[in-house]
Amino acid sequence: MASIAFYILLRFVLIDQVDEDLKIEEHEIEMYVEKFGKLPEPMPVKDQVIYYHFAGRHTKERIFSNVTAGESYPDKKERSRQLKFFIAVKEQWYQVFVEKSLEGTNDISRSIIMISLATIIAMLAAGFIINRLLLRRLWRPFYTSLSFMKEFRLGQTQNIVFKETNIDEFNDLNKTLEQSISSAEREYQQLKEFTENASHELQTPLAVVRSKMDVLIQDEKLSESQSNLVQSAYEAIQKLARLNQSMLLLNKIENRQFSETSAIDIKQLIEQKLIYFKELLGVKNITVTAKLEKVVKTMNLSLAEILLNNLFSNAIKYTPEGGKIDIVLSDTSMIFNNTAESESSLDKTKLFNRFYKGEQSSENHGLGLSIVKQICLVSGFTIEYKFIARQHSFEVLFNLTP
Amino acid sequence: MKILIIEDERELSASICTYLKNEKFFCEAVYDFSSALEKISLYEYACIILDISLPGGSGMDILKELKANNKADGVLIVSAKNSLDDKVSGLKSGADDYLTKPFYLPELAARVAAIIRRKSFDGNNFLQFDELLLNLDEKTVKVNNTVIDLTRKEYDLLLYFISNKNKVISKGAIAEHLWGDDMDMADNYDFIYTHIKNLRKKILLAGCRDYIKSIYGMGYRLTL
Repeated sequence: MASIAFYILLRFVLIDQVDEDLKIEEHEIEMYVEKFGKLPEPMPVKDQVIYYHFAGRHTKERIFSNVTAGESYPDKKERSRQLKFFIAVKEQWYQVFVEKSLEGTNDISRSIIMISLATIIAMLAAGFIINRLLLRRLWRPFYTSLSFMKEFRLGQTQNIVFKETNIDEFNDLNKTLEQSISSAEREYQQLKEFTENASHELQTPLAVVRSKMDVLIQDEKLSESQSNLVQSAYEAIQKLARLNQSMLLLNKIENRQFSETSAIDIKQLIEQKLIYFKELLGVKNITVTAKLEKVVKTMNLSLAEILLNNLFSNAIKYTPEGGKIDIVLSDTSMIFNNTAESESSLDKTKLFNRFYKGEQSSENHGLGLSIVKQICLVSGFTIEYKFIARQHSFEVLFNLTP
Repeated sequence: MKILIIEDERELSASICTYLKNEKFFCEAVYDFSSALEKISLYEYACIILDISLPGGSGMDILKELKANNKADGVLIVSAKNSLDDKVSGLKSGADDYLTKPFYLPELAARVAAIIRRKSFDGNNFLQFDELLLNLDEKTVKVNNTVIDLTRKEYDLLLYFISNKNKVISKGAIAEHLWGDDMDMADNYDFIYTHIKNLRKKILLAGCRDYIKSIYGMGYRLTL
């Protein structure tokens, strides 16, 4: 746009210049006529042509126009500027044509345009490069904050400090981020504390109810039907207590209250659990095959026990009578396979969610596998579930151990 | 023998007292920090059941006070906080055992009995129940000098019953005693039935009476 405007302006100025020259020429011719009483001989000058016509009538006006073919050079098509005017020589009116070629001015304007275009392009390029460098520097604090936000996980409190920058907008942004993060963090903490406190507060009333039940069942006068009622209530209390306990446990694992780690002989621990659960396995006629390599991992002992207890009780609970449990322990992973009750796989995406209940487990509170997952998370392991050949397979991958 | 229950939840305290008291045990209850301190400075107890969170102070301070005065009372901490730190620091400060609320009364009774046995253990670490003689160190059971071959779990179960004799123990309490509290088997107690059946069979085979009775599917009771 600018260059087009520039071109037009330039052309206008140059043509104006040519017109000025033509006027000077007119003036010279007039002077000549006045002095010598005749028209000057048309002199072929470069770029300039003068010729005359007799004119019957005359006007005072001068006419400037652009013509293409100079009349004197019909072969050479050139763009020219022409001035027509009338002059009287000895009572005879002549029309005078003065033409000046525009080729020269065209050349000038073309080269000026070229030069200015080149300059503009150079400026644009320089501007672009400078902008990029400058912008990158300028936006650096923004990208730092952005990458921090990408890393950010609620509940894993690192100290949130954004670097002070000398750009007010970014300082503002960082301050807002800091505030919203810390308020989110605070609310999350409060929520966690609330869950924890709620669970804790439930423990005492639960203890009271359970103790009353324990006293109640001592009553010799209870009839069988009363006993059945008591029994149902007792079992419900049991579930409630267990649920509450699992919630507390999850909370504690999340709060990293099991931070003390030591070298744990996983193989030995599994062997202990096999003895521990022997009777339970026996009751359901479950065959266990265990291929165990000696594996030592650094983790919290209580968590290791809870992890194995959960994996075992999960496997025992969902293996049908006479089924099989395979345990494979190697340096990279620990696999618990158990015969499935049905042909269908469990929902992989929801399996480890809290309160997820598979079809056959309405009795279960659905926190066991969440606890397993959470333990894996804080211990630097991953857990995967697969359904292969009618077997549920839970694999704990150790390879992520820090 | 006197047992002191330091627990601010009166109803819980009352249940514990009802369950524990018999011809051998006598319970006293206090509900706050200062009266607890007063009691422990005045009397000696076979066992103190101590809640950690009390109005007016922490149970931990009572424990420290006991130890500072070289009192030999056995201490069982009961706490609603199932926190490992509490457990560790409690046991380090000289408590004999730790139990998390909500507990089963038979479990509490078994722990109290174990503490008292340990405290008043006069050279012989044996426990007699009718014809059964339990060696608590070796964890073996003899009837008229013949050893009954019990598995570890069966032995634990028998000791649990003897510590709660004449009391009905629910199946849940038995399951938790044998397999711990993170064993989630609440929906199926068949395994307990099998287990107790085996124990009864072995005792009967050794020539004893059938001590263990099933009570309406609710639980089991060991009586003479």
